[in-house]
Amino acid sequence: MDPTSRITLRPFKLTDVDDFLKYAGDETATRHMRWNPITSREEALTHLETVAIPHPWRRSIGLLDDDEDRSIGYISIFPGSGDDRSRANVGYILAAEYWGQGIVTAALRIAVSTVFADLPEVVRLQALVEVEHRASQRVLEKAGFLREGLLRKYGYCKGEIRDLFIYSLLSTDQRRI
Amino acid sequence: MDPETANGTVSETVTLRRLEVSDVDDFMVWAGDERVAKFCTWEPCTNKDQALDFIKSRVITHPWLRAICLEGRPIGTILMTRDSGGGDACRAEIGYHVAWQHWGKGIATAAVKMAVKEVFAEWGPQLERVEGLVDAENVGSQRVLEKAGFCREGLLRKYFVLKGRTCDMVMFSILATDVLPC
Repeated sequence: MDPTSRITLRPFKLTDVDDFLKYAGDETATRHMRWNPITSREEALTHLETVAIPHPWRRSIGLLDDDEDRSIGYISIFPGSGDDRSRANVGYILAAEYWGQGIVTAALRIAVSTVFADLPEVVRLQALVEVEHRASQRVLEKAGFLREGLLRKYGYCKGEIRDLFIYSLLSTDQRRI
Repeated sequence: MDPETANGTVSETVTLRRLEVSDVDDFMVWAGDERVAKFCTWEPCTNKDQALDFIKSRVITHPWLRAICLEGRPIGTILMTRDSGGGDACRAEIGYHVAWQHWGKGIATAAVKMAVKEVFAEWGPQLERVEGLVDAENVGSQRVLEKAGFCREGLLRKYFVLKGRTCDMVMFSILATDVLPC
């Protein structure tokens, strides 16, 4: 079944805390994130309250065929401020048990179909991906992002300096939904 | 950032030093020039008070900014800006301006080479990368960085809004390992 038709995107709620903790506390799922796994329910609640819910554009990924609409991951789009407000950084995470089914790609396609209307000052979405993270590169490519180049020793992730590919999608690019 | 057209090397001495309030008259020569300000976020200074204010509030306070001097006299500036955020202290962004009268002599290239060496020594070993973002239309400034040994990494589309216009920017970088002996 086409994963696109199974996906929902919605804002986070505090009641997502236990489902959120399942992937946010998982070392496998969080391996390429810049933050360390969240290990306590309290930390997870604080994160939802102070980061996920007030976020300019963060959407929990859920499955349509699940009556409870549990959070199994999220897409995060964060615009810059001031001179950088035309640009937004894209990030995403998915619980490891759901990998390999095209879910993040489907969710990202839905996200890019609405985000430019939701954030009208943004003309450019960009994502930074580690050179080794082939799966994430494929997600971006399938969602229509263009790889612009390799930024050498661009930033730290989990204490190590990394070379990162930079990808972008413009509001004027043709998008497949 | 200024364009250069000549491939000549600088015959006069280029040095870097701190810019002082007393340099305001020399400062106004380039800071008041639209040709220099074209690819910068700031508008040209139109009077001395404005220039003094700019120097006091943005130049003197900058964590790393030097006057580019020709035979001891300031004819431009070069600066390095580093993210204060923890994860990104490994990189710094370069910017530079040279008075229009001195374009085409290799001065910006010489200043960039000196500034890069200085900043890797001062901020190393944490600083590993110096990058430059150049407007896709600013071909001269792209050549400055290429001649200074930077690597062109890619074109970032609609990366920045400058004076109301969306710009494509070319990303350049030089690494500490590119510069220092192994």
